[in-house]
Amino acid sequence: MPRAGVDVGGTFTDVVYVDRGGIRISKVLTRPREPWKSVVEALDNVNADLRQLRELVTATTLGTNLLFGQVHLEKPKVVLLTNQGFEDVIEIGRQNRPSLYDPYFNKPEPLVPRTLRYGVPGRLNYRGEEVEALDIRYVRTVAGRECGDNVVFAVSLLHSYANPRHEIMVAEAIRDECPQAQVVLSSDVDPRPGEYERTSTTVVNAVLKPLLSQYIEALRRSLESRGFHGKLLVMKSDGGLATPEEALRVPAAFIESGPAAGVVASATYSRLLGVENVVSFDMGGTTAKAGSVVNGRPYYTEVYEVGGKVHMGRLVRGSGYPVRYPFIDLAEVSAGGGTIAWVDRGGALRIGPLSAGADPGPACYGRGGSEPTITDANAVLGRLPEELAGGLVKISRELAIKALESLARKAGFTSPFEAAQAVVDLANTVMARAVRLVTVERGLDPSEMSMVAFGGAGPLHAVDIAREVGVREVIVPPYPGVFSALGLLLSDYKKILVAPINMELDEVSEEYLDEVFAGLEAEALEAMDSMGVEKDRVVLARSLEMRYKGQLESIEIPYRGLGEARSLFETLFESRYGFYSPEDPVEIAAARVEAIGVTEKPLSLLKKKGSGGGGGPTRSIRIYLSGEWVDATLYKAEALGPGDSVEGPALVVFKDSTLYLPPGSKGSVGDYGEIRVKV
Amino acid sequence: MERSGLRSEGGIRDVILHAAIFAAEEMGVVLKRTSYSPNIRDRLDFSCAILTPDGELVAQAEHIPVHLGSMAVGLKNVMREAERLGLSMEEGDVVIVNDPYIAGTHLNDIMLIKPVYYLGRLIAFVANKAHHVDVGGQVPGSIGGNVVELVQEGIVIPPTKLVERGRLRRDVIRLLQANVRTPRYVSGDLKAQLASLNVGEVAVRKLAEKYGVSTLLDTWSWALDYVEAYTRNTVRELGIEGSATGEDYLELGDGLVRIRARVSFRRDSVKVDFEGTSPQVDAPINAVFGVTVAATLFALKSILDPEMPMNGGFERVIEIRAPKGTLVNPVRPAPVSAGNVETSQRIVDAVYKALAQLLPSKVPAASCGSMNNVAVGGRGWAFYETIACGSGGRPCCDGVDGVHTNMTNTMNTPIEVLESSYPVLFIQYKLRDGSGGPGRYRGGLGVIRAFAVLEDNVRVTITGERVKLRPWGLQGGLPGEPAEYLVVRGDGRVEKLPSKATVSLNSGDMIVIKTAGGGGWGDPRLRPKSLVEKDLREGRVTLEQASKYYGYKPSQKNRLDERRGY
Repeated sequence: MPRAGVDVGGTFTDVVYVDRGGIRISKVLTRPREPWKSVVEALDNVNADLRQLRELVTATTLGTNLLFGQVHLEKPKVVLLTNQGFEDVIEIGRQNRPSLYDPYFNKPEPLVPRTLRYGVPGRLNYRGEEVEALDIRYVRTVAGRECGDNVVFAVSLLHSYANPRHEIMVAEAIRDECPQAQVVLSSDVDPRPGEYERTSTTVVNAVLKPLLSQYIEALRRSLESRGFHGKLLVMKSDGGLATPEEALRVPAAFIESGPAAGVVASATYSRLLGVENVVSFDMGGTTAKAGSVVNGRPYYTEVYEVGGKVHMGRLVRGSGYPVRYPFIDLAEVSAGGGTIAWVDRGGALRIGPLSAGADPGPACYGRGGSEPTITDANAVLGRLPEELAGGLVKISRELAIKALESLARKAGFTSPFEAAQAVVDLANTVMARAVRLVTVERGLDPSEMSMVAFGGAGPLHAVDIAREVGVREVIVPPYPGVFSALGLLLSDYKKILVAPINMELDEVSEEYLDEVFAGLEAEALEAMDSMGVEKDRVVLARSLEMRYKGQLESIEIPYRGLGEARSLFETLFESRYGFYSPEDPVEIAAARVEAIGVTEKPLSLLKKKGSGGGGGPTRSIRIYLSGEWVDATLYKAEALGPGDSVEGPALVVFKDSTLYLPPGSKGSVGDYGEIRVKV
Repeated sequence: MERSGLRSEGGIRDVILHAAIFAAEEMGVVLKRTSYSPNIRDRLDFSCAILTPDGELVAQAEHIPVHLGSMAVGLKNVMREAERLGLSMEEGDVVIVNDPYIAGTHLNDIMLIKPVYYLGRLIAFVANKAHHVDVGGQVPGSIGGNVVELVQEGIVIPPTKLVERGRLRRDVIRLLQANVRTPRYVSGDLKAQLASLNVGEVAVRKLAEKYGVSTLLDTWSWALDYVEAYTRNTVRELGIEGSATGEDYLELGDGLVRIRARVSFRRDSVKVDFEGTSPQVDAPINAVFGVTVAATLFALKSILDPEMPMNGGFERVIEIRAPKGTLVNPVRPAPVSAGNVETSQRIVDAVYKALAQLLPSKVPAASCGSMNNVAVGGRGWAFYETIACGSGGRPCCDGVDGVHTNMTNTMNTPIEVLESSYPVLFIQYKLRDGSGGPGRYRGGLGVIRAFAVLEDNVRVTITGERVKLRPWGLQGGLPGEPAEYLVVRGDGRVEKLPSKATVSLNSGDMIVIKTAGGGGWGDPRLRPKSLVEKDLREGRVTLEQASKYYGYKPSQKNRLDERRGY
């Protein structure tokens, strides 16, 4: 039965369509006003039979674009009800500014203007006990006054995580006065302490709720009008699948799921090849992103800032709108194909953050760009074929050389070739930083991991970066340019549940923990059931988040009883930080259950038929390498089959990407069309 | 533009310098993740650096501005002092120091330094500095209080070996533990600092292995030349010649003490001279020279080019002169613990005031000028926080409401966390309406933060500023509202506190902190009516201010919407 994975990105919409006949792919421009039309267009391109389509899985970076008005849907009016005297918590935030030295900084514009924030008299203490009664008449007055068709009420009261009673009373009063309004309660969408983050999560959900529902409805309508009656699924930011209903309940947990799909794809695809520990490396037009997967599981972060800025690969606190859901943790650097290289006032070479984007694009595209980009540097070094994207883009080496010549003059390089080499070397250093962030800084040893390289530019730099950080193998999947969309077809349902414990290890009993875990598991199974996942397809995993008492960051360890907990924790702690403290008390911060609802994956369809024919027709080309021109081989990926091998210096040209093999590296083609490179 | 010479090594130096900066960042990550005290892990009060074998700083990851440049000054002092003491740094050694007159900030900032050897040759030093929650002394937290000399502020550590040829000296750790209020924190945080140094050492050794020792050493000296060239070109591009003087004051007892900064631009260099600053005082607001350097560099960098790279190369371009025995360069035994937090803010104000005369279209009006430090403690518990305020109006736009400014950027502690950990109940946390200085571009609003205590005999210590002297405006903009620190007793009596005070509270008493607003920029009468009305609608400006300063007359047609949330 056919399935389709659709990754709706800011610039491109990618589709991977799989049926008995194999895989078909398509890449079209995303229409910012009507993104659902791009989905249909891409499905048409692959001749998808929508009547037969059993499942359509979609991931999207749209959440952010919806929020910032890049997608033209009408924003709802969001009214915030919080405690009297605390109306500005949402604006003051954590009181820090997003840039240390820029006196012209601004905080992100509050999502609820001050005129729509109402302070309700009434208060609970941290135990959830009432300190002051709730003034329900005030709530009724506000609800009556602000009532309208496109209104969402966000409710976030202090200590509602300990007792939701006041929030529930507020919701009931609102519904009485304004039955058509939507209401989002903080105790429902993020019941954890930390008033700013919880309120922000609540408000982001409130803003996205009508926006996302408009998008999903429009998508569903356009698909159904063409006969689609299969299952529509959406990917969450944690890489798991969920139903559209769940997406509408907590839309903020679905933001930026496109990049997450790439990590999931890396995890599942490499597992197929028998590899469990990988770094995903995704390089596109403006950024490069790295993630890590250990024992088949991606790394998560619990706080994310929507629309936030990134500095040195990390999110800058206070630069966006925080939401607290599990996000696949990606390190991001501004180094994509279109990223511009320049010389600063002190004469040093710099990369980004400016990008030539898709328009005008790199100089070598011949569309009016003149600034030297990373793509231009690759073109100058002879690492690009004459055309890209199946002939859509022709590469002009002359224009690339011109752009690099001007850089060489400014920076004092003797030739454009030397300048190009320096640009690529520096870009690789910057990208290696992103890879180190998700490996070395998490205590993972890169030499025990493989790198899965994808995105339009990923395979071009992957082998050099792998050498830089000590990764020994690079895996390049077939269709590297639309790999994230393929990942959608390889993912599972997922539900992660966390219960705070915050007790010292010797204060906790196994009975107590078992009770907590059992509660979490029951909740997880219920959630799976509501998504239509049968019980026998659900896999549950228990883990503990532990730390030395007094530390902030905890380490997650698999739970196999309390007896092993301390030694497991200390082993992991030492491998990550180089020491441990046997004399210090250890604390269990939280208990965690991860439920996976295993889907049927079209793995057999991915398998390549037949075997290779010795690499197909090759061509000899010249590339620039450390100061001289050397001979290299150009392979066509489509001509390669299982058993074939390729040897550097060489280029392997895919329809939507190019793999560069430096001298000394050697790749072999496997059963699933992958090229495994020994770096 | 001044061009560096032709490159013999291609882009290798750029690559190595980037890698070194990344290594410093990685040192920071390890330190943050493994540290125990909230100052390090939440407030990011630490820095990590890589230095040349001569002790010149080449790469730094700093998260709070007070370590900008103070790290470079401190490390050079430490090298000099170590040599004087005959303290040789062998492979596997780590030196510890916190003496403010050497290390460059206050006693809480403990600095660790480790030499990096490769094949027996010294190729670099790695160092870090972290704010420890308590280093002993008169008051919990070791900052402020009624002290008149350094030794009252906590334990003073001269350069001492903490690790000797790979062996941790537990006697040194025990000595420290015996002198502080939180012994477990001090040993945990020192271990975190050591782990961070190890990460830096491994990274630098790898660079030597990959690129060779001589290329590495060449890169270090190029990196200093590069920052020098960058800074010179930045100054030259401004195209200004001339000097201006800025003065501002700190509140001490019943009086004021002065900070005076004369800033001079000469073609491609800058000199900042603090001649005329008040003599040092018998109170903890003296700022050691490292702090003065940090605040001055912050002010210059923020106005000249916020992206300006920083390493030891800046010293060749920016000359900072602070007469000995003054507030901005005290001599032993003056106490210095609050120099980091309050005096550093005022140094920025004085330098900004001078720069505003030279670069009127670039400099914002005064921000609230304080970190509004509040320390609260009862039997067996204590917490410390700093409270945001208003930033100054800017030549482009309004100041920012409710935010930390200039030398601090630490996060608040969530109210829900404070209430569940300590016997306090918060009454208010909101923007302070009407506190921003009127201007074409309004000053940012201060904050009101108020809480009641739920048990008797709670002591609250305030280290604040700008109760008497309001944050100034520029170009016709008016000053922001001054700070107010109040105690409201259970029976309703209100006591107004000075900017530095310690009070005792009983159950039901309330402390109310109203932080200052930023100064306004430009004539308020030039502010567009639509913006005045928006501020009125949102309650950020009072009707009285609108008519008095902005010349606002509510018209029948333009009636304000009264349906506000407030």
